[in-house]
Amino acid sequence: MATTTNEDLARLLARVALHDRAAFEQLYRATCSHLLSVAFRISGQQERAEEVLQEAFMNVWHNAAGFNASVATPMTWLINIVRNKAIDQLRSGKTERATTGALDDAAMAIAGDASFEPQRLLEDNLVKLRIDGCMAALGASQRQALALAYYRGMVHTEIAESLGAPLGTVKAWVRRGLDKLKGCLEAAGVTAA
Amino acid sequence: MNYLLPERLDRLAREYALGTLSPRARRRFDRVLQQSPAAMLAIGIWQRRLAQLSTAMPPMQPRESVWRTLEQRLFAGAPAPAVPPSRSSAWGWLGTLLSGRSLGGALAGVLLCVLVLRLQPGLADLEPQRDGLPPSYVGLLLDGAGKPAVLASSRRHGKQLTVKLLQPLAVPAGSVAQLWALPQDGGAPFPVGVVPTQGKAATLALADSSEKLFFKVSQLAVSVEPAAAKPGDKPSGAFVLQGHCVKLW
Repeated sequence: MATTTNEDLARLLARVALHDRAAFEQLYRATCSHLLSVAFRISGQQERAEEVLQEAFMNVWHNAAGFNASVATPMTWLINIVRNKAIDQLRSGKTERATTGALDDAAMAIAGDASFEPQRLLEDNLVKLRIDGCMAALGASQRQALALAYYRGMVHTEIAESLGAPLGTVKAWVRRGLDKLKGCLEAAGVTAA
Repeated sequence: MNYLLPERLDRLAREYALGTLSPRARRRFDRVLQQSPAAMLAIGIWQRRLAQLSTAMPPMQPRESVWRTLEQRLFAGAPAPAVPPSRSSAWGWLGTLLSGRSLGGALAGVLLCVLVLRLQPGLADLEPQRDGLPPSYVGLLLDGAGKPAVLASSRRHGKQLTVKLLQPLAVPAGSVAQLWALPQDGGAPFPVGVVPTQGKAATLALADSSEKLFFKVSQLAVSVEPAAAKPGDKPSGAFVLQGHCVKLW
């Protein structure tokens, strides 16, 4: 990832759109460890995250022609495919567990490494984007709510339960978190990942 | 409920992009998305913002079996991806028709498109079946021998272009088939997207609505380029395919 620029990835995607298998493998090799990490935050389990990664790349192979460099960078495009697949998997898994009644705690197990914690991830990313100062205007709970929603794929009720706060309050925290993120990104002139 | 009021749309788009919509609301909005370029755009903006939060991630190496399974699922025993069976018969019929006679002029091509689209509305991802076709821009690109090669169509206010290969398109390895739009006033061609060279329909995301991009466009063309063209680029060589772009309303 570090040695592959967005221009390189865009070129690879253009060749994948022409169903160039070698380019597809290069694209996979260049991005898989970053994208697995994105999926793992939400899936919470390596195996489930790898399923997400696989589904996402199936999608990439079939829809690479839909990538438009003037709308998003390759990494943004790929991250969104992975996040959508991970959230779909999470939601359908929940439905399944709810209907069968078999709760699978292991599925939600997250590695103990602190660098995987949602709040730590949020802070690391804000620092890297140089908007940590701007985002510091948010309260700790608001940042926490945003981090749980984004990195864990939690819905409002789950965040409310996790933080022991009323649902309405949590909704407002997330909304304010997003408003602030929008404002800070615009102020910092950050346009694309 | 009208999902497209600007304020409501932004609220739904941000929650959809973040992932906090309930599964039911998410599925409902998925359906709205398929019909609304405005909703697609609103989500795109939030997805770009939120993707920033995945910039610094501790890397995790997937097991090698992930790649092997992926390869198997995509390429096992199939040198080229197969056309879905439900559609192959229709295109087989079209292929026979096209190879059986030479069709002159764009008008005949457009009439043919109308016929095909009426018979197979799903081919151009048209929405719920109805009697009239929705207002669209349609282009039929011919090869040097005058045979139809690529069918391009987009709803008038849509931001997606559906591209269908009517015959195999040979492009050297490492090059792309770049689609260009040629303004009727003779202005410089501008890039639209990359045409896939496999026998499947593809949907290209447009930089703006069809109406804005194609209103003054009279022709579409394809050239072979070393990489996808960016706004402002010019075709580097001759067009290998070209044809009229017409308004279907």
